[in-house]
Amino acid sequence: MCDHRLTTRPPTRSVSEPALISPPTVDPVIAARDLSKRYGPLLAVDGASFEVQRGEIFGLLGPNGAGKTTTVEMLEGLTVPSSGTAEVLGFDIVQQPDAVKTRIGVQLQASSYHRYLTLREILQLFGSFYPRAASPDDLLERVGLSDRADARIEHLSGGLQQRFSIVAAMVNEPELVFFDEPTAGLDPDARRQLWTLVRDVRDEGRTVVMTTHYMEEAELLCDRVAFMDSGRIAALDTPQALIRTLHAPYRVRLTTTEPLDPRAVEGIEGASAVECAHEADGFVTRLRAQHAPGAAAALTALADGLGVTAVDLAVEPATLEDVFLAVTGRGLED
Amino acid sequence: MRPLLAASMKMIVRDRQSLFWAMVFPILFLGAFRLFAPDSFGETDLVVSADTSSGPAVALVEALQDVEFLSVEVVPGLDEAGADQLLEEGDANAVLLLSPLSGDGPAEALLLHSIDDPIGSSMTVGAISSVVDSVNLSVSEVPRAIRLESRTAEADSVSFFEFLGPGIVGMGLMTFSTIGLAGSLSRYREEGVLRRIRATPLAPWRFFLATVAAHLIVATAQIAVLVTVAQLLGANLLDGLLWFFIVALFGTLVFLNLAVVVAGRVHGRGAVESATNAIVMPMMFLGGTFFPTAGLPDPVRWFVELLPLTHMLRAMRSISLDGQSLLQQGPEMAVLGAWIVGTFILARLSFRLSDV
Repeated sequence: MCDHRLTTRPPTRSVSEPALISPPTVDPVIAARDLSKRYGPLLAVDGASFEVQRGEIFGLLGPNGAGKTTTVEMLEGLTVPSSGTAEVLGFDIVQQPDAVKTRIGVQLQASSYHRYLTLREILQLFGSFYPRAASPDDLLERVGLSDRADARIEHLSGGLQQRFSIVAAMVNEPELVFFDEPTAGLDPDARRQLWTLVRDVRDEGRTVVMTTHYMEEAELLCDRVAFMDSGRIAALDTPQALIRTLHAPYRVRLTTTEPLDPRAVEGIEGASAVECAHEADGFVTRLRAQHAPGAAAALTALADGLGVTAVDLAVEPATLEDVFLAVTGRGLED
Repeated sequence: MRPLLAASMKMIVRDRQSLFWAMVFPILFLGAFRLFAPDSFGETDLVVSADTSSGPAVALVEALQDVEFLSVEVVPGLDEAGADQLLEEGDANAVLLLSPLSGDGPAEALLLHSIDDPIGSSMTVGAISSVVDSVNLSVSEVPRAIRLESRTAEADSVSFFEFLGPGIVGMGLMTFSTIGLAGSLSRYREEGVLRRIRATPLAPWRFFLATVAAHLIVATAQIAVLVTVAQLLGANLLDGLLWFFIVALFGTLVFLNLAVVVAGRVHGRGAVESATNAIVMPMMFLGGTFFPTAGLPDPVRWFVELLPLTHMLRAMRSISLDGQSLLQQGPEMAVLGAWIVGTFILARLSFRLSDV
């Protein structure tokens, strides 16, 4: 642990770290089997089993308290599982936590960095903990924080702080990075910028595991999503495949000058969850449909037949939130 | 290890609160004591009202002037009311009214003294009455049966400020180490810094070693600054300075361990601050920072003998005030050593990085 390790160089082989002698190149990157964590009477994680593949953005989606953070912290070697096992990059998380920690990058929820150090100093410090590390200036340049290298963390906006905590997870050039709620509390603009950054991280060839309770984020950003609910993995697939599992994957909304008869609407083939309401811009009829074009055509035909003028027609695909609701019986905001 | 040590030092030096406890707080004490107690073992202002034409009166005044701690001023023609006024206004600590000698009768002398400083007053009264007695004897030319001479046991007597110097240095080390380190550890815990460090392969012992080493380095600078300031203000700390540093840093280790214990056992920054104050403040007043512990009542003194600060300060004073060497501080160093071992074990049991 001295200064010269601050620059990138090939991993050293040393006797004290047998883990470095034979780095196993195995897929999947993470294999979790029946992971459980109990805190007293509370079963925070209840038998989670899943695999994460190399080069993907893997999302854990669920409401607060679903067990996402505990799951991730077990994989990071921060929390010891009560039962079950997991291998991260081929290393057992309980037997070889230091081998895991050397190779992963970690951005923790609600963690900050030393308030009396500058960004450059923090990256230098954290780099010194690893056998190899990227140069602080390169790292800051990658995320557009070069001009803030000598600033202290407390003088950054929330978005820039998150940006910094992501680059601080890259200091050891990890193969696998964990981001815990990376966009929590950010405004939409900062959130979108952070998504770009996370995609860049994946495009550099790294595997990303992230937690979120934002449905939209999981859908737009993640290659695969695991739903977590009450400590269990309720479903796991690509966002599109998850949405396709829904019985009625489309939302259709028609706005008219006069109300439609709900019973007539319910007669449309494949329609469900019909709602009629009087809203500011007219009478709104909403329904869920299995087949979007058919339902839209039938709905407009119904209005024409009644001599009612259609003001607006909208057809939207279902979202992950609909799937989450269907799978777990509750929304993400619960 | 070096980047971690450097970062730990930067964090201490840039933390205004820890610098306050390290430097400002002890320097405030040095300044305050310099201002308010120029030297309480110092001089007593004595005003003598006497007829300076008479031989015995002159002999008495001269004998009083020979008393080391009396500053004698002769104001002829003062009456009791005038004397009271002088005492009340603080222009004198004691007034000796000598009525004119007339014929064969004995001269009347009246000593008035203020009650602001009871110990100083009784010393003054004692000294003046013995001077009066000896002048009486010499005037009456009666041979003395017993001749008493006295001198202090030490070559130089120690002024209050000289006594205070090592006390303030020790106090500063204690407040900086205990309050400063416990405060930063609890802040790191609350802000998630410790958890973030734990997610790296850094071994926890390296983190603690760097933190303690950084505090010892800053403590060394702190001793240098406080010794310099105290010396400039009139303390006498340059004798055996190297031994003085060693004892001071040895004691500092106890307080650093105590800080880790508190930060491990007590959660929440406010609670940690209260807990460290509860440890530091009684020790500061009882452990002999400001006054010798010898004057304490027995049960309190036994308790005080258990405190690390008491032994640290005793060894520091023996070195700087009595010119002793480190080797002569065996008992004190043994007590401090026991404290270091004990608090180290407690610290290991109390603060686990795996819990953060």
